[in-house]
This record gives sequence, C-alpha cells and structure tokens, in this order.
Amino acid sequence: MSLHIVSKSPFSSTALADCLAAFSEGDALLLIEDGVYALSGRMSESPAVRPVYCLESDARARGLEIPGAVEAIDDARWVALCTEHNPIVSWFK
Amino acid sequence: MKFSLAVYSAPHSSQSAASALRFARALLAEGHELHRVFFYCDGVHNGSALAAPPQDEPDLLGAWQALQAEHGLDLVVCIAAAQRRGVLSESEARRLERPAANLAEGFELAGLGQLADAVAQSDRLVTFGG
Repeated sequence: MSLHIVSKSPFSSTALADCLAAFSEGDALLLIEDGVYALSGRMSESPAVRPVYCLESDARARGLEIPGAVEAIDDARWVALCTEHNPIVSWFK
Repeated sequence: MKFSLAVYSAPHSSQSAASALRFARALLAEGHELHRVFFYCDGVHNGSALAAPPQDEPDLLGAWQALQAEHGLDLVVCIAAAQRRGVLSESEARRLERPAANLAEGFELAGLGQLADAVAQSDRLVTFGG
C-alpha cells in the first residue's frame, strides 16, 4: 500500500487535498516540510485518513503542536516507513 | 533494501533539496543501498560547482560530494534539463561552444533513461520536488 508524502502547506497548495482524494484504505500519510502545517487544520481529526505521521523536526521547527492522533517520527522511522510501503507517492504541487 | 531518489528542486529555493540529502543520509545510516540519485528539472542546479552559499547556511553541494565520496554514489544530472539551465560538463561546454563548464566533481550527466533504469533496478523510488 502507498505511502503518501505531502510537503506543501494546505494553505498554499492543493497537494494535501489531491492526496486525500487518492487516499485508499491501507495507505499511510506522512507530512514533511511545509506539509506539517496541516497539523493546525482539521485533517488530523478525520478518521478516514489513518495512519498519519509527521516529521517531528519539521513540525518543531515551525512551532506546531503535534496532535495525539498523529505519530511524530524521526528520519530513521521515515526510512522504515518507506520500506513498509510501496509505492512512495510525493505530493508537492 | 535498494533505494533510488529523484530530486526535482533546486537547492536553497525550498526545503526539498535539503530533505533529499537528509533522506539519503538516513537510509545509508540504516544500512540500505542507494542505487542512484537522479537530478531532474530545476534539481540539476544541485550539480553546479559554482554555488557559493554563505558559511552559516547548509552547503548542499559539499554534502552531496562528501556522501558520494564516502559511499561511491551514482549522482546523475539529467543532461537535457542541465543544458537548458546551464549546467555543463567540460565536454558539453566544448560541444555546445559555451565559455565555461560547471558540473561539480562527483556528478555526471546522463539521459532520462537513467531514471527509468533506476526505477527498474530499485525496490523504492522516492521523489523530492516543489
């Protein structure tokens, strides 16, 4: 199942919305770079999108609280997620 | 597991090129293999030897070169995208009659087929863009 990586803010890009439209059961969502700004929206409350991960360093660098439903990960876990999923789909437009 | 990376973004224009480097380091640290890094579109600027970022900012080029030297990485810059943007090897500069070459040591120019080959040869392709 796919790992979707979103790297743009939902406030400036449709990357997250496009990703969620393609999200299937068994997929996972990872927020990196400005994609972590989705943590401040309602996305992380949606039960249809699970599991949700975020790069902890990118969220901390932007001063964002990480909700309980979102798992904060480091770079090693990022690599591990990429081994557990296939394909890896990057959303950055 | 065998990884390849595709980098579509220029250094210092967004966080993306730095994320690619960070992911490359992490996967190598975890004991995985990095088959190829393919620099495409604006990502070809990562292979310019003329980049001179301020000393208090990350030196992505130097970091890629250090990683390349340590692990023997295959750092491939798309030749067609590079020609358009002025990233030229010595031989391309001569052939195209341009006054200078700037492809950084440790990088090589090749065609888009090398990206298709990387997909075919690797267990995972991870793309960095935007």
